[in-house]
Amino acid sequence: MKPAPFDYAPATSLHEALTLLTREDARPLAGGQSLVPMLNFRLARPALLVDLNPVEELARLEVAPDGSLRIGAMARQASLLHSVQVAAGWPLLADAVMHVGHAATRSRGTVGGSVAHADPKAELPVALAALDARFHVRSRERGSRTLRAAEFSSGPFTTALREDELLVEIEVPAPHAGARMAFAEHARTHGDFAVAGAAVVLAPGDHAAIALLGAAAVPVRVEAAERAARDGAAAPEVARLAAAGIDDAYRRALLTTLTERALRRVLAP
Amino acid sequence: MRISVQINGRTYAGDVEPRTLLSDFIRHQAGLTGTHVGCEHGVCGACTVQLDGEPIRACLMLAVQANGRALTTVEGLAGPGGELTALQRAFTEHHALQCGFCTSGFLMTADALMRRRQLDPAAPPLTEAEVRAELAGNLCRCTGYEGIVSAVLEALGTAS
Amino acid sequence: MIGAPLRRREDARILRGETRYLDDIERPEMAHAAFVRSPFAHASIESISVPESAEGLVAVFTAAELGDAVRPFPVMEPAGTEVATSEAHPVLAAGEVRYVGQPVALVIARSRALAEDAAELVEVEYDPRPVITSARASERCLMRWESRAGDVEAAFAQAAHVVSGSYALPRLVAAPMETRGCIASHDAGSDLLTVWCSAQDTHRPLEQLAHILRRPESAIRVIVPDVGGAFGSKGVVAPEVAAVAAAAVRLDVAVKWTEDRLENLLAASQGRGIEGDLELALDADGRMLALRARLWSDLGGYLLTTTPIPPRTAATLIAGCYDIGVADVTVVGAQTHKVPIGPYRGAGRPDAAYMLEALVDEAARQTGIDRVELRRRNLIRTFPHTTPTGLQYDSGDFERCLDLALQLAAANPDEDAACARGTGVALYVERAGGAFESAEIELLSGGRFAIASSSSPHGQGHDITFAQIAADRLGVPVELIELRFGDSATTPAGVGTFGSRSVAMAGSAVAVACDELVERARALAAEVGLGAEPAVNWTALAQAADAPLRAEATFRSANVFSSGAYAATVSIDRATGALTVEHLAAVDDAGILINPLLVHGQVVGGAVQALGECLSEEAVHDEDGQMRSGSFLEYGLLTAADIPPIVTGEVQTPSPLNPLGAKGAGEGGAVGALPAVANAVTDALGGVYVAPPFTAEKLWRALHDEAAGPR
Repeated sequence: MKPAPFDYAPATSLHEALTLLTREDARPLAGGQSLVPMLNFRLARPALLVDLNPVEELARLEVAPDGSLRIGAMARQASLLHSVQVAAGWPLLADAVMHVGHAATRSRGTVGGSVAHADPKAELPVALAALDARFHVRSRERGSRTLRAAEFSSGPFTTALREDELLVEIEVPAPHAGARMAFAEHARTHGDFAVAGAAVVLAPGDHAAIALLGAAAVPVRVEAAERAARDGAAAPEVARLAAAGIDDAYRRALLTTLTERALRRVLAP
Repeated sequence: MRISVQINGRTYAGDVEPRTLLSDFIRHQAGLTGTHVGCEHGVCGACTVQLDGEPIRACLMLAVQANGRALTTVEGLAGPGGELTALQRAFTEHHALQCGFCTSGFLMTADALMRRRQLDPAAPPLTEAEVRAELAGNLCRCTGYEGIVSAVLEALGTAS
Repeated sequence: MIGAPLRRREDARILRGETRYLDDIERPEMAHAAFVRSPFAHASIESISVPESAEGLVAVFTAAELGDAVRPFPVMEPAGTEVATSEAHPVLAAGEVRYVGQPVALVIARSRALAEDAAELVEVEYDPRPVITSARASERCLMRWESRAGDVEAAFAQAAHVVSGSYALPRLVAAPMETRGCIASHDAGSDLLTVWCSAQDTHRPLEQLAHILRRPESAIRVIVPDVGGAFGSKGVVAPEVAAVAAAAVRLDVAVKWTEDRLENLLAASQGRGIEGDLELALDADGRMLALRARLWSDLGGYLLTTTPIPPRTAATLIAGCYDIGVADVTVVGAQTHKVPIGPYRGAGRPDAAYMLEALVDEAARQTGIDRVELRRRNLIRTFPHTTPTGLQYDSGDFERCLDLALQLAAANPDEDAACARGTGVALYVERAGGAFESAEIELLSGGRFAIASSSSPHGQGHDITFAQIAADRLGVPVELIELRFGDSATTPAGVGTFGSRSVAMAGSAVAVACDELVERARALAAEVGLGAEPAVNWTALAQAADAPLRAEATFRSANVFSSGAYAATVSIDRATGALTVEHLAAVDDAGILINPLLVHGQVVGGAVQALGECLSEEAVHDEDGQMRSGSFLEYGLLTAADIPPIVTGEVQTPSPLNPLGAKGAGEGGAVGALPAVANAVTDALGGVYVAPPFTAEKLWRALHDEAAGPR
């Protein structure tokens, strides 16, 4: 399948990218691992493709002075695996990204691209939701704004990004002291999209985050389960609370199990 | 648009449309047909080549994006006289190929894996399960993967 | 040489990327094809309007343009089978469409991208019609075969036990890594149409194109280049290939069609797609008295050449390895609004083994007789054996296969609260070989040999295997033998590479041709005063001969029957339903093995395809006939990380029907692994039957079915 024709413009700076995106029917090209298949299927037919790959300032991955992790939208998925800082402070991201595609897609696929594509079966949006990530977005006309994870993901393959807006950076707050993290998923075959998954962050007595993949078309945080976890409830009870709102018996059982498995890893001595 | 891409150390120049896929540029304009196209949506891995030594899907990159970059394809593995690498010889030894269509993709993935491992000689050897996970991004419909896994395990062992 | 695990000579060029698959071939001034395809599963075509012009557009063809220059596909009518040949697949849709993806118009342009652009400008007006997607619900029968042997009513009346079961296998896609494709080029001067085709052999494209294009075979040359897998899906030429060939005759440029993956999943013939209601009558000792089987094949909208074959094969093999003298079998191929069925690795053999072996396990449960013991009491032990469906098994040792499989099987798993564990065993028999193949051999200067074989490879390793056979017969090293395949102008007549027949038939033709050459060599040696004992001095003979020494052979035989026994161990995670195949033991009897390394590769490859069928593969059509598994993102092929340990063993009972004693090894893995894993899953579920694929959701629901109670 060959794409329908489009114009191509490589952006050399963020400013240039934002300017190019004001054109009618322009789309940003990040890693291409989700967009190019859609171009090849002729499901996406932009008039202009704005290539973000040359924009080095978007690819940074670093810890800010305030201890937060700053993931440039164009940071490659593979960089989350190779980063010593991510492994130290936010191992949930490395854990989740291991389930994302394969080496040959992680080498090009970007963190921002995955999040902006908003596939309900994608792992990174769920991990970032569990980490209370904030999404910094910019456009030429309206400047910058920041969205919480729940505000950013709005539906299947839908985000709050407007046509001329670009996700610039994902800010992940410094981890709570003593926080442990784990990700569990069920996929049909190895490396396939997740059927369901759970991302868990727990600093007992202090902080808990439980985000579910496959409970809805967007990542779902379950407050009742998080409160119980924070207060020291046992894993099975927390897991039951996490999935309680799901109607379908199978999906509920699956998410209960996956949440429990992630919790056990986090609680293990 | 005129682009110039270095492939296996040689420069290939050509005119492409923005929509020309890198896989098609490599195969039909550079004439290097060892890289194969199996799906054009990034799942089968038959089109895997290396960009600066990292494995990528050639079907998911636009040719224009490779302008000025350096690629390695399967044709770049063997020696100047056609001498097969230890990895390639292991493939024959372990009957790791039948129809051969997926083979170049596996070679590029495995070769990249081997070179990454060589950068960290102190790391413990990969288990079979880990090798299988590393190879899970390349599909094979003929062999059931057994020979491929054995060949890569052997090549990794030999290299370390 | 025979039985030596020689490594393939074919590999070096593949490893260097020096292969030439269809899409690698460029012809001067070549144009490219794309197709306008039906978005409806069933509709009448009210009108088609093609663009006056488009960038790079060369031509647009519809059924109207092709007119009488083409006719629909020839359809096989196997013995005793009713076949609705009037429902043959047309080249391009003529007035109606019967499946989503059916080719309606052929667009030819300067590049594939431009052809796709132009195809979007073709406007087709459809009038949708009702869609039938269920074989049982369909009222249109396109194919039917029946077989009755013995007094079935009496046998069931006097049975101590009657066991019944209903089984289903969904459709699958073959999904070779290389899609289909062709390049067609017509030389006006000689009126020769040359077609390069990613095909399983030259013969069937040649015959089919000759019929469809109304040309003599002498006016068509079919060349089969390197082929990236087929598994049955490249046996019949694609309707698209016929359209491109027809167009090429009219144009003065070569035309290439490279199928893309979406087309391949949508419009290439699909496999399996069968349901069956079976009944088994047994006496008090568990002896099988009679079998009733009614099978429905989800055949698709039209008949392609071999569409009737897999369902009929399933029906003929329905008694499997058991000595059942009385049977009543009917198979109906029902018309549905889907792409037609075609052979896919196993092609009816896995279907039969799956249903029968599930029924036998059910019989074990119902009679209380151990499932292995029940099998032993009923195995065929003497050969040749004629089945109630009229097949004659030439050779085998089913019990030895069973014993070896049990020996190789994993130890019985421990009980585990977290997992439901199960084991399964299954036997299979498969029809292989048959019809004929040919070989031509010539002695070259320097004592080298060139062999042209009628068979062609798609990864099986014909080159080294036939070289081993020839080396053995001629008494020379393998290095001196070259093989040539895949060009209807220069390779001899044959039938094709499918149905596990290449060694038994084409290999035997090579052996016979070599024997003939040795005879002639001896005669020539005597004439020219060269000794021929103990071995022929080929180099000297090559020099001494006036004309090159040659021989040819056509080898013909009845079908040979491979068989085997597989044993599987599985566990089902109670909390998630996830299935893990813990271990698979695979024992196959393919007769005398020429190259056990390659045979092992075929067994494992086939078994992994069966595992895909068990774990994740399914061609899903919704109630409107739309394919829901239309890309590799939805259709779940297994990866290297999904494969369990597989242990193989062999039994080699020689076939008396060919000089090699060979049977067929190409499909056993795909045939045997399916029923073994399926039976293990049913065992883990405590006797509850679930149709494949055994997804986590299905198994979880089966384990937690409130009506059935906890297991």
